[in-house]
Amino acid sequence: MQTELSSAALAVEGNRFDDAASEQMECIIADLGRMYRERNEALREVERAHHDALLRLSLAADFRDDDTGVHIMRIAFLAEALALRLGEPARFARMLRKAAPMHDIGKIGVPDDVLKKPGGYTVAERAVMNQHPEMGAKILGKSRIPLFQLAAEVAMTHHERWDGGGYPKGLSGAEIPLSGRIVAVVDFFDALTMDRCYRKAFDDEVALQMLLEQRGVAFDPRVVDVFVEHLAEMVAIRDRINQQRPSFESLVDPT
Amino acid sequence: MKKILVVDDHADIRRLIRMTLEFEDYEVHEAADGESALRMARELRPDLLLLDVMMPGALDGLKVCAAIRADAELSHVHVMLLSARGQARDREAGMQAGAHAYLVKPFSPLQLIDRIAAQWVTA
Repeated sequence: MQTELSSAALAVEGNRFDDAASEQMECIIADLGRMYRERNEALREVERAHHDALLRLSLAADFRDDDTGVHIMRIAFLAEALALRLGEPARFARMLRKAAPMHDIGKIGVPDDVLKKPGGYTVAERAVMNQHPEMGAKILGKSRIPLFQLAAEVAMTHHERWDGGGYPKGLSGAEIPLSGRIVAVVDFFDALTMDRCYRKAFDDEVALQMLLEQRGVAFDPRVVDVFVEHLAEMVAIRDRINQQRPSFESLVDPT
Repeated sequence: MKKILVVDDHADIRRLIRMTLEFEDYEVHEAADGESALRMARELRPDLLLLDVMMPGALDGLKVCAAIRADAELSHVHVMLLSARGQARDREAGMQAGAHAYLVKPFSPLQLIDRIAAQWVTA
């Protein structure tokens, strides 16, 4: 009975709530709005903190792999630029920028005597090394947050090959997620054009030739074509990052 | 900023919906009946119409929805119906009229805001 009375009191003639009820409802909605915004901000903060921790772990993996951490920054911005040039939505490209630097996080689980071994691997060592995509995907976990789902996908698939000869699953062609195909190309080019302990960097022209040789073999031909078409832009991004050394925060920030 | 036109003959409901939409950054406009809704839709070209079904006057929400769907200039406009009637046949009538979604009143503010956000992703 009471409910009926109060709803009757609310439904005043002329399509108006009574003033007190209306003001009270507005207060409740305003509070709800504040809580909604605070909740969203808290969720973003959790995501940022999680991202930051995982990026630092990726940085640790990169340090072990005898680098300064700049490689993963270059991969981030090159993957974003290439995704945009491939016509992917800005939202995807931005998320790939944040996810791509974590692609080799699984190398943290590869023993030093394998990771740092100069020269070729034995079959057993190769098998150990080839576990790093799956270890990476495990470290990144089965998150509900899209960014970490994408990061795990990239970690898992960046060593698959277009012709099906890659690892860990031997996926081929479009079975390989686009994220993995993009990161595979920028990682290949960037790794060739940086100094390693066992060799000097290749010239861009040599690296370009090596990339083209793998067009439709290791790599998605369309991704290679777009990379080559925009080579000047890619090289400019690489050089800018080498000079400016953008901070970690530029990856983590919510934009 | 996405533009949303809120159509309801009940001024307080419009106000509550407006306050809810303002949790996010939306440009919110209001119309109180079917005729002005249609006129404002053509002027403003909103991204989304939040449309009450039962309204007095010649055009109820279903008729407004059908008129919008019939207007090639407004093909991009999404229509979400808000109705006190939640029977399967009411929803069906709404979908028949070309609505993208059908929400039952009393509306849940969070559901409303989530449904709208989800819609931009698929749009």
